Amino acid sequence: MLKKRIIISLTFLDGILFRTKNFKPDYRYTKNFIDLWSIDELMIIDISQKKFSEKYLSLISFFSTNCFVPLSVGGGINSLQDADLYFKHGADKIILGSGSINNSKISKEISMKYGKQSIIQSLDCRKNLDQNYYVYAKSGKKNLNLDPIILAKRAVSNGVGELLINNIDNDGSLLGYDIELIKNISSQLDCPIIALGGAGNWAHILELFNETDISAASTQNIFHFTEQSIISAKNFLKNNKIKIRK
Amino acid sequence: MKLGIIDLETGNIASLIAAIKKLNLPFKVCRSQFDFEKTDKLILPGVGAFKDFMEKIKSKKIDVLINNKIDKNISILGVCVGFQVLFNKSNEFGENKGLSLLNGEIKSFKDYSEKTKVPHVGWNECQIINKNKLFEGIESNSDFYFTHSYLLKSSDKDIVLTKTKYDIDFVSSVKKNNIYGVQFHPEKSQYNGLRVLKNFFDNC
Repeated sequence: MLKKRIIISLTFLDGILFRTKNFKPDYRYTKNFIDLWSIDELMIIDISQKKFSEKYLSLISFFSTNCFVPLSVGGGINSLQDADLYFKHGADKIILGSGSINNSKISKEISMKYGKQSIIQSLDCRKNLDQNYYVYAKSGKKNLNLDPIILAKRAVSNGVGELLINNIDNDGSLLGYDIELIKNISSQLDCPIIALGGAGNWAHILELFNETDISAASTQNIFHFTEQSIISAKNFLKNNKIKIRK
Repeated sequence: MKLGIIDLETGNIASLIAAIKKLNLPFKVCRSQFDFEKTDKLILPGVGAFKDFMEKIKSKKIDVLINNKIDKNISILGVCVGFQVLFNKSNEFGENKGLSLLNGEIKSFKDYSEKTKVPHVGWNECQIINKNKLFEGIESNSDFYFTHSYLLKSSDKDIVLTKTKYDIDFVSSVKKNNIYGVQFHPEKSQYNGLRVLKNFFDNC
């Protein structure tokens, strides 16, 4: 039976690991205290102004040669050549940002070359005062005025294999995932979905898996990256009857 | 002894090379006949689509080189799409012929159930059906990392090493004579995956 995945997501600013709060760099870490043997999957995202820096590319190589789990890499991908560069440095999947969603050529070309299982489309969403969800681009600053479900379906038909759903207001909040948003999207899509943004404790991950049928929870803040915490999260979930990798 | 990693220059073999380096196994990336000559075991890693993959194999005449090695009793391990092309055909992007080294047909999860979420991505269990040295030291129902939308439902019974359960049961690894194949990604499956690669090198 397919296990639920716990994915660690790391954001880098000029080669330095930060956690983010509402999409702004907030607290600095060092990559050395991530337990690369307990995680199920790793995502790294470049939030620097200048993308494709040597520093970031060497970080991809570092993780690729030190963790033997899938590595997804995001940050500024606007063409097949950008994706090639990340794959060449050891990415197993690439993460497309909301900004690229209106350019179907990118995901089509990448999926032709690397297969759709190698593309994650991230959708940064926010509930506006009208109580509707909208997708945002430019690190949460620009409202694309588009419904997440429509964009999710479009992405999948353009060759995307997985969706990464984030609620900007929950990012770094430690208040839990936006279950309503995740449920809405998951009920209408038939691809794997990763939820990001908001996990503050193990119970939030449990709630996500109990309330939705999605396959993966991603988190940055709650893991203080010690071996103990990832193992204890997994034990907690296992004790609550969630199928987790041993 | 040297392991040849076949590079069709289509996708990403960096992860596999990282795993082989971690295991300290001597290897050579194979792109030409010359490269093949220096190898004693082969891995055919696969990312991408079946059709593209087979076209690359044909245009580079890698199929001939593989067949020559198999005739000389050299073992080969196909991974993911590299596993799928060992069989007769696949219906990914129309019907396409594989290498036909083994009997079986690759189909979409959607052909069996419309409701199945694809790709099948994540860690899933391999139930050991027939014991083999490829899985030496690995318990039945250990987790491996999968990512694929097409699958092998069944093949000749005696060649199936493990099966895996998603919405349906499918074949997750096979062995016939010196031909081995795994649908999962050993290079992304941590201890268990590294063990499979080491077993292949040491014992198969």
